[in-house]
Amino acid sequence: MSVTPDDVLRIARLAELEVDEDALPVLVEQMSRILDYVAQLSTATGSNGLRPFVPGPDAIRFRPDVVNPWPLAVGPDKLAPAFKSGFFVVPKLGQFEEPEAS
Amino acid sequence: MTEAKAAADRLVKVKRLNALLTPVSELRKSLAEQAATARPTGVLYGMPVAVKDNICTLEFTTTCGSKVLEGYRSPYEATAITKLKAAGALIAGKTNCDEFAMGSSTEHSAYGRSIHPLDKTRVPGGSSGGSAALVAAGAVPAALGSETGGSVRQPASFCGVVGIKPTYGRVSRYGLVAFGSSLDQIGALGRSVHDAARVLSVISGRDPKDATCEDRDPLRLPTVPESLQGFVIGLPREYFPPDLDPAVRRACDRAVRLMKEQGAAVREVSLPHTQFAVPTYYVIAPAEASSNLARFDGVRYGPRAEGATDVRDLYRRTRGEGFGPEVRRRILVGTYVLSAGYYEAYYRRAQQMRALIAQDFRNAFDRGVDLLFTPTTPTPAFKAGEKLADPVSMYLSDIFTVTANLAGLPAISLPVGRVKGLPVGGQFIGQAFLEDEMLEAAYALERVVPATEEA
Repeated sequence: MSVTPDDVLRIARLAELEVDEDALPVLVEQMSRILDYVAQLSTATGSNGLRPFVPGPDAIRFRPDVVNPWPLAVGPDKLAPAFKSGFFVVPKLGQFEEPEAS
Repeated sequence: MTEAKAAADRLVKVKRLNALLTPVSELRKSLAEQAATARPTGVLYGMPVAVKDNICTLEFTTTCGSKVLEGYRSPYEATAITKLKAAGALIAGKTNCDEFAMGSSTEHSAYGRSIHPLDKTRVPGGSSGGSAALVAAGAVPAALGSETGGSVRQPASFCGVVGIKPTYGRVSRYGLVAFGSSLDQIGALGRSVHDAARVLSVISGRDPKDATCEDRDPLRLPTVPESLQGFVIGLPREYFPPDLDPAVRRACDRAVRLMKEQGAAVREVSLPHTQFAVPTYYVIAPAEASSNLARFDGVRYGPRAEGATDVRDLYRRTRGEGFGPEVRRRILVGTYVLSAGYYEAYYRRAQQMRALIAQDFRNAFDRGVDLLFTPTTPTPAFKAGEKLADPVSMYLSDIFTVTANLAGLPAISLPVGRVKGLPVGGQFIGQAFLEDEMLEAAYALERVVPATEEA
């Protein structure tokens, strides 16, 4: 076994993932199998000191530094109780009740 | 347009495959609307293209096959979708897939597995299994899928259709829900090499919204070559191991014989680090996934867990309830290999191994080989449930496909024969950004190979 139940619970906390008590034994067993399997990487020789390979362009291209409108998931009309002609409609100030002085 | 109604009818007819996640009424309505506004001058005018559910669309929800994103509607669409629509294509609904594209069978979808069109007891492959099943069943001529470790080519091989994974950086990833950002690419599936290739050509090309997308013109489609004269095809020894399914070997041998008859020179090559590809992949992909999936916490996207006492409790409950077992496993493995004390032993080691795997390919191509030819998968489609209990055995079905993702190279799977009625795929792996050469070879092989005959 390469991981213990405590290891799995610690990792789950780091990953912000709730793990069921019932699911724990199977998870420990499967994670151990996966980690034992990938551990064969340590038997490979010749990779020490190599620069990691990352595909894609060598240099990041920058976009023009301009503000682009970001679309909303829902229209502004859905974000407030009342919306008219491009404005949020709020009650007139005079209609507010002053809080009672205690 | 009657084409829209016909497309919807064809999709409804194969409902039993559980390959489409979009409800029928919504699909019909959207197709009719899209057809009314589609650009008649586009090169894909009227072509229905089904889209894997991890690619954002405005027309339909984007759930990634997960409960965490149930009912989620993206406020923007993927660049690939914008380009398809600009070419006149119709977005023909969202297809079932393994949750967040993690799996090789669609059995990890929160919405139930898809059915193999030729054998209902078998899986269509995955993770783009819904897309492959719909194309194979004749419901759509082409579909979009996505690849991180073979998720287009493996289901294409299982279902007997064509699947292309482009060079990393050929197609914009904007709007593709990220799984392993250094591996992910959107790919195309089609009935024929041409159907898949013309969809790929439309979605390829530069995009200022994705900094990892190369500043290149869209892919130009080659013409079908007269022969394979002048092509040097390499057969990597490691992809034809002694325990390879004998029928898969027969089908590939027949394809190689046919390529020789077409004038190709064939030679054996070696990619010595192939045996480390799957373990390398299963460190890098979960590591990247654990970061990418951190955003699904119940605050910004999708449903939220009930009864949480504070914000961390909310994160944990939402993620614990929302993610399925395979996604949970990969998040945990990814977090583990990135955690203090294990980073060097696992993650750095895997990244260095990735460099050696990429070097293997460069060495083969430097020695005058134009393309590599291999089986796409070690076996034809497996039975549902067969590999569910053992994650490592499921991972090993990607053994011939993950290398192209690790090295960022283009690859295509096309049907080369059948074994007891089940399709077998052959794969070409090409040089970076030489998709046109790879497609020429695929066109030539497709023309002569008896794809639906027993090998």
